[in-house]
Amino acid sequence: MGASSARRSRIVAWGLSAFVVAVPLAWFTPAHASTLPPYQTGRRNAGTPNSSVVVKKHGVVTSYGDSAITYRAPSPALAALGQALYLQNCASCHGTEANGVPAAGTTGAYPNLVGLGPATIDFWIESGRMPAADPRSVQAPRRTPRLTHDQALAVAAWINSLSPSYPYIPTVNLKDANVANGAALFALNCAACHTIEGDGDALARSTFAPSLRNIPATQVAEAIRTGPGNMPRFTGNLSDYQVADIVKYVTTEIQHPRNPGGFGLGGLGPVAEGFVGLLLGVGLLALVGFWVGERQ
Amino acid sequence: MSNAVVTKRSKKQALGRYGRVGKALDELDDRLGVAKGGRSFLDKIFPDHWSFMLGEIALYSFVVLLATGVFLSLYYIPSSAIVTYHGSYLPLDGQSMTEAYASTVNLSFAVRAGLLMRQMHHWAADIFIGAMVVHMARVFFTGAFRKPRELNWTIGVTLLTLAIVNGFLGYSLPDDLVSGTGIRIAYSIILSVPLVGTYLAFFVFGGNFPGTAVLPRFFILHVLVVPGIMLALVSAHMILLVRQKHTQFPGEGRTEDNVVGTPMFPVFMAKTTGFMLIVTGVTALLGAFAQINPIWQFGPYDASRISYAVQPDWYMAFLDGALRIFPAWSFHSFGHTIPLEVTIPAVIFPGLVFGLAYAWPALERMVTKDVAPHNLLDRPSSRPKRTAAGVAVLAAISMLFIASSTDVIANFFHISLNTVLWAMRVLVLVSPFIAYPIAYKIASEMHATRGSGKRKTANVVTRTDEGEYVATAAPAYADDVAHDLAPTPVPQYIEAVEADEEPDDGVRTIDR
Repeated sequence: MGASSARRSRIVAWGLSAFVVAVPLAWFTPAHASTLPPYQTGRRNAGTPNSSVVVKKHGVVTSYGDSAITYRAPSPALAALGQALYLQNCASCHGTEANGVPAAGTTGAYPNLVGLGPATIDFWIESGRMPAADPRSVQAPRRTPRLTHDQALAVAAWINSLSPSYPYIPTVNLKDANVANGAALFALNCAACHTIEGDGDALARSTFAPSLRNIPATQVAEAIRTGPGNMPRFTGNLSDYQVADIVKYVTTEIQHPRNPGGFGLGGLGPVAEGFVGLLLGVGLLALVGFWVGERQ
Repeated sequence: MSNAVVTKRSKKQALGRYGRVGKALDELDDRLGVAKGGRSFLDKIFPDHWSFMLGEIALYSFVVLLATGVFLSLYYIPSSAIVTYHGSYLPLDGQSMTEAYASTVNLSFAVRAGLLMRQMHHWAADIFIGAMVVHMARVFFTGAFRKPRELNWTIGVTLLTLAIVNGFLGYSLPDDLVSGTGIRIAYSIILSVPLVGTYLAFFVFGGNFPGTAVLPRFFILHVLVVPGIMLALVSAHMILLVRQKHTQFPGEGRTEDNVVGTPMFPVFMAKTTGFMLIVTGVTALLGAFAQINPIWQFGPYDASRISYAVQPDWYMAFLDGALRIFPAWSFHSFGHTIPLEVTIPAVIFPGLVFGLAYAWPALERMVTKDVAPHNLLDRPSSRPKRTAAGVAVLAAISMLFIASSTDVIANFFHISLNTVLWAMRVLVLVSPFIAYPIAYKIASEMHATRGSGKRKTANVVTRTDEGEYVATAAPAYADDVAHDLAPTPVPQYIEAVEADEEPDDGVRTIDR
């Protein structure tokens, strides 16, 4: 107890002094501006630190966000472990430099990971899409993750250390989120691909919008902010509060529909309803008709 | 006389043979003369065959539709006025929506049994049209549409068309995200009619899409105009059925000039009443346990929102499938655009399908030159060409039906959507040409095979004392032995009734 509080006060003291020294220094270094990758919109609430409360340590942003979503960078201390894991699991395709060049002359074959931001790396690893089962497949499907949560953070930490970038890994505060607002935003922004019931569906040329039935809150927020695969990156047009509303709607009503009308029929809509109506309804009644009609 | 003792017995005797009910009917007959018509109605003979019950599924689900529909109309508000929802379903709280949508959500959640009624109504609609299609197939494949019943076939096709239209109108009324998309598609289809499309669409919608006129209009069409016409046509359908007497399958004692079967009262009435209750019961069970059209999950319609993977109800699916797979052709000239990619699959094609259905009795008569009246049904196998033609049309329509769920197929089987699209295009065009020869061959072989369609007799295998197994055919069914070529096994107890004999409740024969 005593030891830990002493350690804490020491951390606070070091942190404070470092903060006081480093922030003015960092403010005048030109490197400050160059940490933002060029494609960041920089608009309010875009999942970037200029949106809201920013916490810095040693002049480096460690977390930012507001009461809806807090974005945290994975600890730089994990970077060494992350590099080892990266070389084992990722380097055969993305290259040892994480620049998408596994061998000379293969530029463009695989995505460049540098500057993608920890949320992107975390999403792809923790949803089990990476390491890919079949690197040639059009779209990596969701599966049981190969790496653990901490290992994913470590890989994200190492890639982030190559070129610090945003967005960081979000933690969504669902307590104050508004599910009704989320439902409306979901219908407006998500249903066009994921369907209004969140079951996902096939898109053109073997791509598909995955089902949202079984996705943790963090990954929903990561997907919205980073836009994996064909999905658009929702940055400027959705505030953190709106993202939290959507995440709440997805993790409650979409993932646990109330189905007050009985069996949900898999959320497939009229396709399943037609099968039930024709096979169970008309089919059963035709059988009854057979029984009644042939009875003397 | 006047001071005779009134006993229970004398009272009963005074009432006559049929008691109080008979007396009441007597009084009615004195005034309205219902006895003659009632007698002939109660004496109507229904031939026994299970396939004759298919139309009744449709009839009774229509009754369920009327009953549940009246309930729904008490709570539904056909208005496009925008309100803010503050009801019991939290995910919609504070959203603005039309009064139509809000009232549908309210009748689902805030009205006792409202959701059950809504779901029963929807399931009954699905079953209604399904039963109509199956009934139509029965009538088609057995040749029951031939002279003298062409008019009833025409009424039936009209009923099917109206039922599909009314199903669409009813599906549109809640004004949820999915049905609003359907209305938008309907608007575009009307718009695609060459030359008059714009005028027609503005006429139907009272202006541009979506406007505020369309929901009240659809409501009146759905609850009054179309069901009124349908009710009249159903009555005409039934009156013609009684007037022309039922068709029957060939069999012993059955000729073109008689009807063999059970009389309306009491046998058939018991059957049909029981069947009505079962249809209602199955619909109620589906309504209670299987969720259909969860509009609260879809949210209110808003032209800026869209859900992927939207299919119409199953009876519209073949049209949706045609729209989905048709190539993107359009025609521009003289400052006008004719969107053939919509006009052909959604206007011309359904016109051709229903036109073919209307015209079929005449077309067949043109080919066969058969103008004689037919009261005996064909077995489908005895008319291989008609059967094969019907199967070919059904095959193509089934493929279009499947084509309306291209996305679901692609997603479920992990096939590229483009592959599924092209496969369906090919299948729709090719399937009738594959189905026709197969159906033709099966039907004509069955027709030529002695004893096909008959009950199989068992082979009795016995083991002798020496251990040898001997298979002996069990004796054939008595009916089948006596009339080897008669296609339908006929019950033995058919007997002609003498004119002055008291009619019994069993099977009997009357002249047409």
